[in-house]
Amino acid sequence: MKATCWMGRNSVEVEDVPDPKILNDRDAIVRITSTAICGSDLHLYDGYIPTMKRGDILGHEFMGEVVEKGKAVENLEVGDRVVVPFPISCGNCWACEHELYSLCENSNPNARLAEKMFGYPTAGIFGYSHLTGGFAGGQAEYARVPFADVGPIKIENGVSDESVLFLSDVFPTGYMGAEMCDISGGEVIAIWGAGPVGQFAAASAKLLGAERVILIDRFDYRLEIARKNTGVETLNYEEVDSVPEALKELTGGRGPDACIDAVGMEAHHHGALYAYDRVKQAARMESERAFALREAIMSCRNGGIVSIVGVYGGLVDKFPIGAVMNRGLTIRTGQCHVHRYLKPLLERIQNGEIDPSFIVTHQLRLSDAPRGYELFKHKQDDCLKVVLKP
Amino acid sequence: MATHSIRKTDKGSLARFLGWFSIGLGTAQVAAPRALCRLVGAEGDGTSRKVMRLMGARELTQGVGILARPRPTGWLWSRVGGDALDLGLLAATAVRNPDRRLRAALAIANVAAVTAPDIAESLRLSRQQGEPNDGKRIRKAVTIKKDRTDVEAAWLGAADLRRKIEDAKASVRFAKAPGDRGTELAVEYTDAPLGGDLGRTTVKLIGRDLATQLSDDLRRFKQQVETGEIVRSDSTPAGHLLSNHLKQRPAQPLEEATR
Repeated sequence: MKATCWMGRNSVEVEDVPDPKILNDRDAIVRITSTAICGSDLHLYDGYIPTMKRGDILGHEFMGEVVEKGKAVENLEVGDRVVVPFPISCGNCWACEHELYSLCENSNPNARLAEKMFGYPTAGIFGYSHLTGGFAGGQAEYARVPFADVGPIKIENGVSDESVLFLSDVFPTGYMGAEMCDISGGEVIAIWGAGPVGQFAAASAKLLGAERVILIDRFDYRLEIARKNTGVETLNYEEVDSVPEALKELTGGRGPDACIDAVGMEAHHHGALYAYDRVKQAARMESERAFALREAIMSCRNGGIVSIVGVYGGLVDKFPIGAVMNRGLTIRTGQCHVHRYLKPLLERIQNGEIDPSFIVTHQLRLSDAPRGYELFKHKQDDCLKVVLKP
Repeated sequence: MATHSIRKTDKGSLARFLGWFSIGLGTAQVAAPRALCRLVGAEGDGTSRKVMRLMGARELTQGVGILARPRPTGWLWSRVGGDALDLGLLAATAVRNPDRRLRAALAIANVAAVTAPDIAESLRLSRQQGEPNDGKRIRKAVTIKKDRTDVEAAWLGAADLRRKIEDAKASVRFAKAPGDRGTELAVEYTDAPLGGDLGRTTVKLIGRDLATQLSDDLRRFKQQVETGEIVRSDSTPAGHLLSNHLKQRPAQPLEEATR
């Protein structure tokens, strides 16, 4: 089959690789009909996530048709149309029983490696380095899905791939980012990053009842997509001297009730601190450029919530812990527990409350994946989301 | 997976440091005698190079002795003797090469700086009595989300793992985890490998130590009991083994998958 392989920093190639096979009784093989390039794939592309190997198949946002299943998979049939969540979860351990699916205790065969890095291991993830298990990803024609009796959700015909594909990651991730803000009505929520996760965090904050949502980015075309589709306010950070001051002014001096970091480890900005971060990250002396996170913390109102759904991998410098502690901020974060959100968000799509396909700007053939990565990385051609069709 | 180790050895971290220090210095002296001679203010010619190599061989022997023995009192005192010899040789070097006296003086200062801990550790070990103890108690614990009876039944079925545990004279303990979290399984044994610290480091480096093996084994046991299967990814088709970690294949399907 054809598959998108990581060949080194800033290099992916579509290669011929063997077809996947059932290895365990709870596996299924899915023929992929749509798969997407995620913002977090760019961290792999840029070479900031350790433990990648040349030839690793990328991709953790995919859907398709079940073509084969192991004998212990009873909830799916061959021919079923499914969306596959990006974390691999066994459904049996304490974490899974408590709906903490991205913290599954069993699904990461390289748990010891993750344990050294993070203290405790995290779940396996498709196509996302050997630290998260070394599983082949879904930017391919077929994928093996372990624990297929737990993860994939069946999709009825009549709804397009583009409307449900993002249940695999970015929609639930954005939704969880908003949910962690304890929205009960009347709040002001500020969101850093108008990429796909930021777009869905903004849309979800609205769905959950936030009174005002302010989305921050530097690309006008992304802010325009948000204004048009979600009706949120926007702030281009390159047009203001200070984002925290701008937000303070926009909220009558109070600050947003909650701030969502949907940017993660490769934040852009300008000025001396940004230059400092770039140099340290390039020299591998820190793994994160946490500019957005620092701003989110400094902007949040006293006693507010900082919700982190942007991906971080290691160690950060100049972290304003004094502001967090003295101003009583709550930090909530985590890789998304996607399985928890599949059914409720599918219902919202079916009810017409949201159509996630609004983020798609590019549809390419799988063989064009290298171009897709370049378009997305360099924000060329007003790129927000690339969907690949095998 | 938790690993908790308790050192119950006679020799402390200072003795181990001095052992590794001997090996490091000795290796440099044997491998690059001319550079070392020049560093300490000697000429680096035939005789001084031979002496430097000889001293290096002495350091290596002492290092191995300190790391391999459970209570290396004699080996530590031999380091004190070696320091005296080194100081004498360096003093002679300084007299013979007056124009490079500063280098010899710096080398003397360095030797004197390590003589103090050599004497202190030798005196401390000389006061130890009874049978020497080089054991390291290692405890490993894992929580399995199943009732104790299920876990114990599965344990009875895990013949290979039980044999490994018996060979290591390890004890196994099952306990109910608090808050309906299943069963805690703890394995405890004394790790006293052949060759002391040197042996322990060697088997660890090649991933053959029991502690590493048990980490893999207990994790797989938990997977088997909780999920009914050993988790296999494309890069670890046989399940993860730390000893194979660096040889992991790319995350691509296998040409011929075996079940």
